[in-house]
Amino acid sequence: MRLPAPIQKRYQRWLARRLPRAPVVVLNQRRIFIFPTGYGFFYLGVACLLFVGGINYENNLILSLSFLLASLFLVAILHTYRNLSGLGLRNGDSESGYAGESGSLGVTLFSEHRDHHCIWLKWEGQSGQQISVLTGTESTLWLNLALPRRGRVLAPRLKVESMFPLGLLRTWSYVSLEHFCLAWPSPQASRDCPAEGGAETVQLVSSGKPGNEEFRGLRAYVAGDSLRRIDWKGYARGIGLNTKLFEEPAGGRLWLNWDALEGVGTEQRLSILCYWVLMLDQQQQPYGLKLPGMTLAPDTGDSHRLRALDALAAYPEFG
Amino acid sequence: MRVYQVPTHTRLWLVITIIACSLPQLVRGPAWQAGLLGLVLLIRALGDRQRMRMPGRWLRGLMMVSVVALTWFSFGRIYGPEAGVALLVSLFSLKYLEVVRQRDAYVVIVLGYFVCATALLFDRGPGLFAYVLLCMMLLTTCLVGINHSDTGARSWGHLRRGAVMSLQAIPVMLVLFVLVPRVAPLWNMRIDSGQARTGMSDSMAPGEISELSRSSELAFRVSFDGPAPPGAERYWRGLTLSHFDGRTWQQAMPRGMDRKDYLYQAGDKEPDWYRALMTAERGEGYRYQVIMEPTQRQWLFAMKVPVLEQGDAGLARDMRLVANDPVADSIGYTVTSYPDLVRAVPLSEEERSLMLSLPDRDVGRRARGLAQQWRLDADNPGQVVNQALRYFRQQPFYYTLRPPPLPVDPIDEFLFVSRRGFCEHYASSFTFMMRAAGIPARVVVGYQGGEPNALGSHLLIRQYDAHAWSEVWLDGQGWVRVDPTAAVAPDRIEDGLRAALSGSEYDLESLAALQSFANSGLMGRLRQWGDYVDFQWQNWVLGYNSQSQMQLLRQMLGSASPLRIALALLAGITLLLGLYMLVLLRQDRGYRQNPMEREFWRLHQRVSRLQGQPLDAGVTPGQLAERISERWPRASQAASQWALQYQQALYNPSVTTDRVRLRHLRRLRNRLYKLLD
Repeated sequence: MRLPAPIQKRYQRWLARRLPRAPVVVLNQRRIFIFPTGYGFFYLGVACLLFVGGINYENNLILSLSFLLASLFLVAILHTYRNLSGLGLRNGDSESGYAGESGSLGVTLFSEHRDHHCIWLKWEGQSGQQISVLTGTESTLWLNLALPRRGRVLAPRLKVESMFPLGLLRTWSYVSLEHFCLAWPSPQASRDCPAEGGAETVQLVSSGKPGNEEFRGLRAYVAGDSLRRIDWKGYARGIGLNTKLFEEPAGGRLWLNWDALEGVGTEQRLSILCYWVLMLDQQQQPYGLKLPGMTLAPDTGDSHRLRALDALAAYPEFG
Repeated sequence: MRVYQVPTHTRLWLVITIIACSLPQLVRGPAWQAGLLGLVLLIRALGDRQRMRMPGRWLRGLMMVSVVALTWFSFGRIYGPEAGVALLVSLFSLKYLEVVRQRDAYVVIVLGYFVCATALLFDRGPGLFAYVLLCMMLLTTCLVGINHSDTGARSWGHLRRGAVMSLQAIPVMLVLFVLVPRVAPLWNMRIDSGQARTGMSDSMAPGEISELSRSSELAFRVSFDGPAPPGAERYWRGLTLSHFDGRTWQQAMPRGMDRKDYLYQAGDKEPDWYRALMTAERGEGYRYQVIMEPTQRQWLFAMKVPVLEQGDAGLARDMRLVANDPVADSIGYTVTSYPDLVRAVPLSEEERSLMLSLPDRDVGRRARGLAQQWRLDADNPGQVVNQALRYFRQQPFYYTLRPPPLPVDPIDEFLFVSRRGFCEHYASSFTFMMRAAGIPARVVVGYQGGEPNALGSHLLIRQYDAHAWSEVWLDGQGWVRVDPTAAVAPDRIEDGLRAALSGSEYDLESLAALQSFANSGLMGRLRQWGDYVDFQWQNWVLGYNSQSQMQLLRQMLGSASPLRIALALLAGITLLLGLYMLVLLRQDRGYRQNPMEREFWRLHQRVSRLQGQPLDAGVTPGQLAERISERWPRASQAASQWALQYQQALYNPSVTTDRVRLRHLRRLRNRLYKLLD
């Protein structure tokens, strides 16, 4: 059912006011809506039919059967409400992705007082996932999120819905978690490396031969070091996980620079930078990143790449 | 979209529910229905285990057609209550064959509600209703099951949830039952529930009532509001028979009298006799409620002279109640009987000639002679009556259930030859002689006596209490009841049929069937309890109609205005649901402390209370111990020991906080308490 645009807008504003964004939300009566499902209306119709039958046959027992159906419906309101009430939701991790593709957001559901069965979670207008949360436990659900453009994509309103236990009533709530997914710029191929710190860079990259660095020694592995630089042979010998260190490249430090792409639009600049970050990472070439208001020292490795991509995604507000 | 399937953990409940809901019809209906259900369940079980392919659309259509054909074969039609219910239950079974998705299961469950409702069309006993409630609980269980899409859900959990919800719904149902106003039927759908059973017919030939006396079926039940009259006074009049053709007594209206004049129904113009009756002095009365089993006849039973308090019936000139429609279901009515009112009923000339009419000269020649002789010897009609009773007493008359046949002349043969008879013989011949002696007389058939339920609440009147007696018109006294059977077998009137016949070897065989109803031993007590429940059920549940509802509501609410009823409904439901809400959401309030936290806060609160000023909520156990030793130096050692143990239990990973450790901590704390005072 679609409402006319002005009413829709007003309704959205009302929802936003009533259900403000928060990192943790526990569902309570302020947030929970409840309404019969189609089957619930059908069931009430059956109760009415039995009522008419009981009246016409002057049969008090059939009449009380119809009253029992109505009473079950009333009791079901409480039970359906109860299934959602007290359910807590909070931010989980997020997985970033390139703009135009999709990332995913983790939502952690927790329950302190009771079991919550068959809860459906979905972004508005999309198909959902089902989960049950037992007392005192937490479960995390990953929800895919389309990332239409670069930047921080705020979690849309999440619909938490349940029809348990009888399916006669649907109870739902909208949850706006203070949660976001970073959309990296989609890489855009470009011939010229927007880099400074050595004229040979371009040629070096295009030749595609790594290893102009001198091996310098080993140090203990630290989380985030590139897996490609781990001394696997040494690990196999049993001397533990170590990372190989290399000399600075002969051509000096390589900086990917925002200013090197003058005259190009912001998003395109970021896309080109993203392309080169990925390129250089593939070559295991150490690189730094200079953006207005933010500088990332040259390094290599997965965590460095992610940091660089996140910086590109977050531009211009680095949090 | 994902396709919802009926979860496997619910299949068993569906099967159990289908069997349970169909069971009443399977027991009542034709045998092929049980076969059909068995076949469906078998096919389904094999299909679910991949042992056979599920039948396709054609095969299911074929089964459907054969079900309709079988219904036609068994009932001769496919509409009407019996056939319709049989068809519904068969459909219910067949539908299970094609349950795949959640929606199909919903359809099965809804059909189940209808199957449950139709079971109540044919039997309205408390037992069946309890069974139907059980079926409703199972249906709720199925609903829970099909909505529980976790694959690992436990089947018993569904039953528990279904039972809890059903039990919570029942009080709400009671509120609705009592308060929702009863509406008059929108259109007439009365069905013949097939309950026409043995009972009185509207004529009396020799042997008819003794036939009835072999049945111990219930005729009606009576509960008195005040004291009940003694057994010998309890004559439940049903019909008066005033036309005798020499063998059979029949109902008759006086020649020339209009039906409207003879029978007064509410809303009609009041005839003279009715007006006279209503304005006469009433005297003492007995107020009672009658709950009658279906008879398919219009007459009702009451003592003389009945004034209807509640129910729908008219009053006939011969002082009996006549229902507006034949009694097809058990009905209840409340009556006050005023014995003294009988004087207010007049005898018109037309009536007098009817009450004196006799058949042809061929019947009862000797009896006529005898009666006329008595009339000549007596000064007034009363003496004739006494003379006749004396005759029955003094001559060797026997009271028996198995009188010899009287093929030629039922009057003379009985009075002067066989002299063995049942109440109808006595009533018939007595009335005949009274008419011959010129005294207006008629036969009354009905029931006499009644056996009190041991639980004391009501009388049971069974078919074997059927009785016939006479009424004679005496100037100044009106219609006077005379029971010639009482002259022959006083026991029959005082103690009932069984007592009257127990001495006679001749009747022992017929009595054997009735003996089983004797109230002896455990079975007797159980039967009495069963009857008590049944009576209350009839009275309060089945007989709860708009009249009794209005009466109850007036008592409860002061007045039965729509506003008050609506408010009472709202209040009742809100109260119940509020109560449930409190119970269901009880754990929602606040955070529940774990045992270790509780341990800490108990000491914290005790110290706060003792020192008269609240402690900071953020103190650590160590700070708490320091605080204690500052204030109560002699407790310092115990306090630091407690703090040490507490912190170890909480933070030392090698120390487990089990019940033993908690008990140890509690003991330490209690020792500390003693030092604090």
